[in-house]
Amino acid sequence: MRVTTELLKTIGNITVESTEIEKLLKEHITNVEYSHNIGDDYKGIVVAEIVEKEEHPDADKLGVYQVFTGRERVQVVAGDKTLEIGDKVAYIPPGSIVPTTIYTEEKPIIIESVKLRGVQSNGMLGSEKELNLGPDHEYVMRLSEDASPGTSFADYFIFNDIAIEIENKGLTNRGDLFGLVGIARELTAITGNKFENPSWYTDKRKNLKPEENCLNIQVVNDAEALCPRYVAVAMDHIVVGPSPIWLQSALLRLDIKPINNIIDITNYISALFGQPLHAFDYDKTIKIDPAPDNKVTINVRMARQGEKILGLDHKTHELNDRTIVIADNNHPIAIAGVIGGQDTSVDENSKRIIFESANFDKNSIRRTSMELGISTDASTKFKHSLDTEACVPAILRAVELAKEIAEGKVASEIIDIYEEPYEEKIVTVDIKKLNTHIGLDLSKEVMSTILTNLGYKITSSDNSFITVVVPSWRRDVQIPEDIHEDIARIYGYNNIDVKLPRRPITSLKDNKIFDLKKDIRKQVSALGLNEILTYSFTSLDNFKKSNLDADLTYKVKNALSPELSLMRVSLLQSIFQKVKENKEKGFNKFGLFEINIPHINTYIGEDSLPKEDWHFSAVMIDSTISNPQSSYYLAKKYTEKILSTRNVKADFVLVADSLEQDLDEDIKAILNIFDSNVSALCVVDKKVIGVLGEIKNSVKESYKLPEYSCCIDVNLSKLLEIKMIKKEFRDIPIYPTYSVDFCFETDMNVTYGDMEKELDKIMNSNDSWGRVEGLDIYQDKKDKERKRTTFRVIGSNYKKTVINKDIKAISEKIKMKFKEKFGAKTI
Amino acid sequence: MELKNKNLQKIYTSLEKDKETLSSEELKKKYLSKEGLLTKAFIEISKIAQKERAQYGQEANKLKTYIRELIESNTNFTNTYSSKDRIDPTAPFDINTKIEDRPQFLDEEGTQHPLTKDIEILVGIFKGMGFDILESRQLDDDYHMFESLNFPVGHPARDMYDTFWTEDGLVLPAHTSTMQNRAMKMFGPPPIAVVLPGRCFRHEATDASHEHTFHQIEGIYIDENVSLGNMIATIKEFLQRYLETDLEVRIQPSFFPFTEPDCEFVISCPFCKKVGCSTCGNSGWIELMGCGMIHPNVLREADIDPNEYSGFAWGFGVDRLTMIKMGINDIRYLRDSNLNFLRQF
Repeated sequence: MRVTTELLKTIGNITVESTEIEKLLKEHITNVEYSHNIGDDYKGIVVAEIVEKEEHPDADKLGVYQVFTGRERVQVVAGDKTLEIGDKVAYIPPGSIVPTTIYTEEKPIIIESVKLRGVQSNGMLGSEKELNLGPDHEYVMRLSEDASPGTSFADYFIFNDIAIEIENKGLTNRGDLFGLVGIARELTAITGNKFENPSWYTDKRKNLKPEENCLNIQVVNDAEALCPRYVAVAMDHIVVGPSPIWLQSALLRLDIKPINNIIDITNYISALFGQPLHAFDYDKTIKIDPAPDNKVTINVRMARQGEKILGLDHKTHELNDRTIVIADNNHPIAIAGVIGGQDTSVDENSKRIIFESANFDKNSIRRTSMELGISTDASTKFKHSLDTEACVPAILRAVELAKEIAEGKVASEIIDIYEEPYEEKIVTVDIKKLNTHIGLDLSKEVMSTILTNLGYKITSSDNSFITVVVPSWRRDVQIPEDIHEDIARIYGYNNIDVKLPRRPITSLKDNKIFDLKKDIRKQVSALGLNEILTYSFTSLDNFKKSNLDADLTYKVKNALSPELSLMRVSLLQSIFQKVKENKEKGFNKFGLFEINIPHINTYIGEDSLPKEDWHFSAVMIDSTISNPQSSYYLAKKYTEKILSTRNVKADFVLVADSLEQDLDEDIKAILNIFDSNVSALCVVDKKVIGVLGEIKNSVKESYKLPEYSCCIDVNLSKLLEIKMIKKEFRDIPIYPTYSVDFCFETDMNVTYGDMEKELDKIMNSNDSWGRVEGLDIYQDKKDKERKRTTFRVIGSNYKKTVINKDIKAISEKIKMKFKEKFGAKTI
Repeated sequence: MELKNKNLQKIYTSLEKDKETLSSEELKKKYLSKEGLLTKAFIEISKIAQKERAQYGQEANKLKTYIRELIESNTNFTNTYSSKDRIDPTAPFDINTKIEDRPQFLDEEGTQHPLTKDIEILVGIFKGMGFDILESRQLDDDYHMFESLNFPVGHPARDMYDTFWTEDGLVLPAHTSTMQNRAMKMFGPPPIAVVLPGRCFRHEATDASHEHTFHQIEGIYIDENVSLGNMIATIKEFLQRYLETDLEVRIQPSFFPFTEPDCEFVISCPFCKKVGCSTCGNSGWIELMGCGMIHPNVLREADIDPNEYSGFAWGFGVDRLTMIKMGINDIRYLRDSNLNFLRQF
């Protein structure tokens, strides 16, 4: 929303310096995008008069002029030979900037004294385009005859004004602030004054007498639900031409291009009131829809499916039955509230016109604007709740201006279709509640003054309550809290008494997952891994490369690009890509991890939304390792560290030995990443909480991962559900420790884990204490069916020093047990 | 299965071998796809002598049924193809690995991501101030993202949020406010003090200062007689703790459907002390977050009586704060996962 300080000041009683207004807007209304003194663009440029004219001796297209700048005569060469003596022009002296280049060039062009084809030129005579006032670049712009040489151009064009662009976002609920009147009203109240509506603002006369032979128009509203009010009036004897300087200047300052006086009037009124107006050419309308007695019928209705209209944007728009249109008997002539039709537009030949001032449903206009992809000044305004009461004053003001600057004569009554007139809204505010809610201690009088200044009518008040009639333009005010905001805002948020709330001492509910993630991050980053954050979106190609099933993904309907169109089902698929990229940067030994939420469309929670479990996923690579050992064991080492943050010990079951039907959807979804003979499920309390190990060769190839690569995926939400084993103190024996090594030869299917557990069981009893270390696992290349596992047990006794005889007995016991249980041969 | 045709018998023999080593997908590909062995065998029926053709067809069909059954019953991962020998997953290291080759934690410079580090610090401050924590969802429904927050269907204020949707009609939250209704129900009745950190998404093109994926931290505080003044004090207290400096704060009006009044929280630039620098765009001030008093409709939607209680809410982006604090000049670094970047923190 563009405003200018001087235009605002002509409307409201704003008693501060213009330079203060931006600050007030920010502090009391909403944020400002930028502000800019328009006059600054025209520094040095003055009105000048052509006093002599000569041919250029050496160039056909150039004219040589002597111009009077109010102080001196200077010679200027111009690319326009049509200037005559006495013409008034804008003279840009050497050292001044060509205004348009401030916006079009990286380095704005500064005029210099130069020779043009051998003739000295001291300055430049500006064209419309160069002066940033219009498109014409062929001719030097002519100023009006009464312009006096030496006057600064900014003064002549009333450009000494500060333009301020207010952020529309903050005005979303304030239809009334899309007009200068609305902003001026607020600023008046902010500076402590009462806003008096301009007389034309409250003019609601409808009995405008036609001054001329009456034009025959009829309005039929067949879309009352979406068009609460439609006002129209016809005018005759219009002379279409350029607008006077004051109007052109006002529009330019508001960043609106002047077109012709009638269009300019509609745009100006729209900027002033926030009430969009439209003008139809009466004769064109009859021409495309001839009717007896030259009667023009304006029919507000829903479009018929497939109806088309050529818009003022020179594009043909196909309409649907959700679009409101303004139509004649047969065809749409405008898309209501969005854009006019080309066939009935006002142009330089228009004589008879119809002004329209209507109100449309904001949701409908929003949808139409989105569906058709058209955003206009009108649609922007109609998307917010506008005041139905403003329709008549706006059209009256337009009529008045058309009489004034386009020689128009009223040629019909005011036609006003307004089935359900506006009903005043009454709201009662509790004074104490307001003060508590905001943190203020304002008296009833202060509140009343603010409300009155804003246009509220106070109907009754006592020491506890104020009852007000909400002004018709404030469609956003529904409940007392809305009025709390008005008072706090105008009084000033920065005058509020700032104090911390007093709260009871209650202990917090633990957020275990947040703490667990924190612990894990600390743990694994200390162990050399780097945490990353990657997008939740990925591509179909990424699914293929990761050997994942894209049928499990949630597809993004309005994705930014195909690369970001699928929600990932595993964090691993994002990490693979990042490992690849880092490897390309020259890192050859590292691990990346991410803690985040993947989404699988078959994994649904009780609330029937996707179940959002937190996962820890990591990929580790080491291109420097060339020996053939499995990288699974590195993944296992990290996994055990992660589990240790919850004091949990897991069983690891080879993926190849697991049954798919026993697994949850989230585990099933990622299994295809892993090489089944060299990866394992992480099982705790019979629940599978993760997968770890080597990556399938095809996936490794896709991401150019080295032979020694592994990955981990642990479902942290599931880990958290596992009951933590309470740590309990166990007495430590005071007697010396001993150690014995055992080497067991077994079949391959005897697991290390089972042997270790057995040793642990034997070594720990009421009397004895011990721990087990794995020293070596050996396999003879000639005998792939057998292996030799070497353990060291370290033990002690609670009651005595263990001597050789005892050690022998323990060793025998172990050997026996291992023979019996595992068929192990002790070497 | 005995098959008279030699060619079919050969296929059968190879199948018997493959069923032990190939996964369902791989079986399908090898035998039943366009290029599959059995598919080819069917095509070759034309080359078979007329009198043997019926027999051939029968046998081929029998084989096909058998393969289909195999594929359907094949859920055991034993059958997943692997070129490697089975390992013992319970062992701490592989067979025949020398002591010096056994797995070691990576001796590299591990790091925590600057954003998660900051989120932990920020949440820690709020925890110290007595706020509970509830993390935000990353896929949600229209009700929580919009309706429960006083955005009726079709409301123009929805345009303020450039939202991603899935084809199933789910929404990728454009703000952590998507958790407000849940948090009120979960931690209610008042007093309620919760912070809601989470990942959010906006449909916008990425450049040095814009990202479609970012982090927010929302907060809500609801009790009897809570005021806008309380809100300003709370946010200021937290910011001073986080930025470790005294700040001037300013409140600007703004608009959000779920707060009334609605504000923008602005702080004096902590780097230049209001003189003007690149961080604050030479204005001396930084707009940091949206905030306001929770709209009565939002309280009501969570079964909290607005006549009895009032509360405030805020939401701010963590990425920007982290960038300001660390002097990071391009937001894309935060999700680029470049080790050269990560190892600086």
